[in-house]
Amino acid sequence: MAEDPESSLQLPPSSAAEGEGPTEGSPETVTPEPPSSAAVSPGTEEPVGDTKKKIDILLKAVGDTPIMKTKKWAVERTRTIQGLIDFIKKFLKLVASEQLFIYVNQSFAPSPDQEVGTLYECFGSDGKLVLHYCKSQAWG
Amino acid sequence: MEEDEFFGEKTFQHDCAEFIKHSQQIGDGWEWRTSKDSSDGYMCKTHLQIKSGTTVSHPGTSALVQTCLPMEEALELPLDDSEVTETATATEVIKYEYHVLYSCSYQVPVLYFRASFLDGRPLALKDVWEGVHECYRTRLLQGPWDTITQQEHPILGQPFFVLHPCKTNEFMTPVVKNSRKINRNVNYITSWLSIVGPAVGLNVPLSYARAASQDE
Repeated sequence: MAEDPESSLQLPPSSAAEGEGPTEGSPETVTPEPPSSAAVSPGTEEPVGDTKKKIDILLKAVGDTPIMKTKKWAVERTRTIQGLIDFIKKFLKLVASEQLFIYVNQSFAPSPDQEVGTLYECFGSDGKLVLHYCKSQAWG
Repeated sequence: MEEDEFFGEKTFQHDCAEFIKHSQQIGDGWEWRTSKDSSDGYMCKTHLQIKSGTTVSHPGTSALVQTCLPMEEALELPLDDSEVTETATATEVIKYEYHVLYSCSYQVPVLYFRASFLDGRPLALKDVWEGVHECYRTRLLQGPWDTITQQEHPILGQPFFVLHPCKTNEFMTPVVKNSRKINRNVNYITSWLSIVGPAVGLNVPLSYARAASQDE
C-alpha cells in the first residue's frame, strides 16, 4: 500500500489500439491478452521534454470492490477510460462477466473514449487525478 | 436524508430539473416534457447525426462522425446529394431520441431511445450500433443490463428501445452510498446517465460532473 509519491508505478503500455476496446465476439467472453508484468515497467517510453506526457492517477475503490495494492499510477495522457478500465480489470483479475466503472468526483462516469489527460486538466489537483472505481456484477 | 437506497419520483423530478439546468447552460438539448393528462413527466433529448459514406460504397461502421455532433456543426457538412460520386454514398441524417422516464415498479430512471431517418423510417437496433463508437459498444456488451428490449413508451405509446432497469439499483447503490458517506449530494440522474449513456451511444459531456457537485 505504498503511496510514496516518488515511486508511482508506470502503467504498462496498452498493446491494443487505444479506445478500440476488446475484440468483437460473444458478449460473455471478453478475454483480454494476458497482461504484461504489472510491476514497475522501466520508463522506456518516458519522453524527454518539458511537456510531461504522463499524469499521476490515484485509484480508489468504492463499495466492496477489491482494493488495488498499488494505487498510484503514472499514465499517458492519451490513455482512455476504457483502456484504464481494461487495465484495472486485468490487475484485479475480474472475470469477464464483471463490469468495472470509473468515476471522477466520485459520482460521474466519464465516457469510455475520454482521455485521462483531459480529466486531469478538469479534475486534477495537487498534481494528481483521483479516480474511483467500482465493480459491478454484470450477469446477476 | 430519510431516503436511503430509495429513489423516489420527487427526487427523480428534482434531479432531472437540475440536470436540465446545466444542459441549458451548455446547449446540450435536454428538455422536460409533461404528459397531457397527468403530472407525469420525462426528460428527453433529440440529436441529429450525419452518417456519411466515405471511400466505401456501402455505408459501413467506419463511416461515422462523433455521436454528439451539435446541430450547428452538423449543418456545415454538405448534404447536397448532387455531389455524390460512386464511392461516396449519399449522406444520411439520423435522428436519435433519448427519453428518461421514471419507473415506479423499479423505482429507478429508465432510458428509452430510438433512431430514425428524417423521413420517419426507423432504424433497427443493429443500425443504431453502427453509429456508435467501438468502445461504447464494449460498454453495452459488458454492462450490467440484461437486454435491450423494444417497448411501448409509457406516455407516447410508440415503440422505443429500452435499456432494462432491473440491474440499475445494483450499480447505482455503491455510488449513492459512497456519496452519502462523504456527505455529498449526488445527482442521481447525472451519475446514472453518465454510466448508461455510452451503452446506447449517448454522450454526456464532462461538464455535468462539475455541475453535479457544486458544493466543492
